[in-house]
Amino acid sequence: MRSYLRLEIVRGLRNPAGLVLLVLFPLGLYLLGTEVLDVVPPGLADGFAARTMVSMATYGALGGALFIVGGAIALERGKGWPAQLAVTPLPAHGYVTAKLVAGAIWVLPGILVVLAAGALVSGVRLPPATWPLLVALIWVGVLPFAALGIAIGYALRGQAANLAMMTVYFGLSVLGGLWLPVEAMPAGMRAVAEYSPAYLAGSPAWRALDGVPPTAASIAALAGWTLLFAALALWRYRRAL
Amino acid sequence: MTGNALELRAVTKQYGPVTALAGVDLTVGEGETVALLGPNGAGKSTLLSIALGLRAPGSGTATVLGRRPVEALRAGGVGVLLQESGLLEDVRVAELVTAVAGMYPKPLAPERAMRAAGVEDLAGQRVGRLSGGQRQRVRFALCVVGDPGLLILDEPTVGLDVAGRRALWQEVRDRTARGRTAVFATHYLTEADDYADRIVLLAGGEVVADGPVSTVKALVGGREVRCRLYGGDLADLEILPGVLQVDVEGGGPGGASVALRTNDSDATLRGLFAMYDDVRDVRVDTTDLENAFMTLTGGRGR
Repeated sequence: MRSYLRLEIVRGLRNPAGLVLLVLFPLGLYLLGTEVLDVVPPGLADGFAARTMVSMATYGALGGALFIVGGAIALERGKGWPAQLAVTPLPAHGYVTAKLVAGAIWVLPGILVVLAAGALVSGVRLPPATWPLLVALIWVGVLPFAALGIAIGYALRGQAANLAMMTVYFGLSVLGGLWLPVEAMPAGMRAVAEYSPAYLAGSPAWRALDGVPPTAASIAALAGWTLLFAALALWRYRRAL
Repeated sequence: MTGNALELRAVTKQYGPVTALAGVDLTVGEGETVALLGPNGAGKSTLLSIALGLRAPGSGTATVLGRRPVEALRAGGVGVLLQESGLLEDVRVAELVTAVAGMYPKPLAPERAMRAAGVEDLAGQRVGRLSGGQRQRVRFALCVVGDPGLLILDEPTVGLDVAGRRALWQEVRDRTARGRTAVFATHYLTEADDYADRIVLLAGGEVVADGPVSTVKALVGGREVRCRLYGGDLADLEILPGVLQVDVEGGGPGGASVALRTNDSDATLRGLFAMYDDVRDVRVDTTDLENAFMTLTGGRGR
């Protein structure tokens, strides 16, 4: 188990496409939104850079949770790798666990790079303890997406899985106000957005910028999504074995 | 439990209207080398995947090393080479072999397994860049690196060149010489002949013969003598020594195409040249296994 875990972690270094999608893309969008374009919604100029920093760090981490875990499962299932593992001592849940651990590690670069850009390029200033708190909150916030990734990874393969992942990734990121804040949305859309998983993933860290704890409702809702996606993942995983 | 490496009891499997296995009993003792022979569609792969717990039998039971198959796999007692199973593409050969070695309680050194499979020169290569034959060798390295007591190989030499085949069988033989068990599926009679001490013949989802290599070989008829004949009484072919079956195509002045299945090709040839004046294009082949199965199983091979 440990030897396989090590292999899965090392593999994270080998994926240039993943690096672009999950690190450079959020970083680029962050710099574009804060340093290049003039897209600050009226009335939100205060703390816009810090807020966008959290949004883009969440956006990158969310993609990592989806693709490093579930995307890899879908790809490798298509190639028959889990079938090979099935005749080794490694149990199927060991494979998923290794993917989750690798995912937990490899979402960090995206978060750290965007936060670093916020501090170094945009001059975002926060109490020292808030920085690690942001990392932790975002990291926990994207948990439901790891579960959703597993569900898709065990439900679909190849192009279909890719398309589903991309749709979920962009769709939920936009709906959750990671690209443009929910304050810029019409009231009806905003009401839905604030209970969508990507918004809830970012919400604790956004509130931490103001030094306030997450609301009980948002934690409950986030836990609800996590449970729902985990149940979905378990169902698809069992079906696929 | 007893010293059986593999035990199947009354195993059946149905795919929709197709019967893949129609009640198979099979016991493989520890230290045996068993070849599972049969034409395509005989149920070889289905049988192996049920024996490994990868598929559930319709009815019946499978036991490996005295336990449920999945438990035996998890305990690291079995090394398996499946047909066309996948590999990770973006890792190096040595990394893959090392990672799999680490899953077993008492693995070989990865270098040792790579040498046995003939991939030591590819250790630093990305798996994604390998050819089909090289991949098959890597699969074999993964299969033996855990140093398991039981090897299960499904058509292990498919895609391998001569050197690759030789290396693979050499390693299998080294292991069985040390009391390990090996079960392999093949449709090459020669592989069974050279490397197994027992043959289990499967056709139409049933075991149609099971015994020492010599016994089963005699049953499926050793050789086929082919030639073209010009003139002479073709009916006399039946009485040539050793001949079991005669097939004739054509005839008359254009000559006849003759195929004789025989259990003594030397005697058959001597008789052939003695009896006919104009014999041309003589070839002696190992009997086409598929045809032998058809004879033996009355067409149930399909």
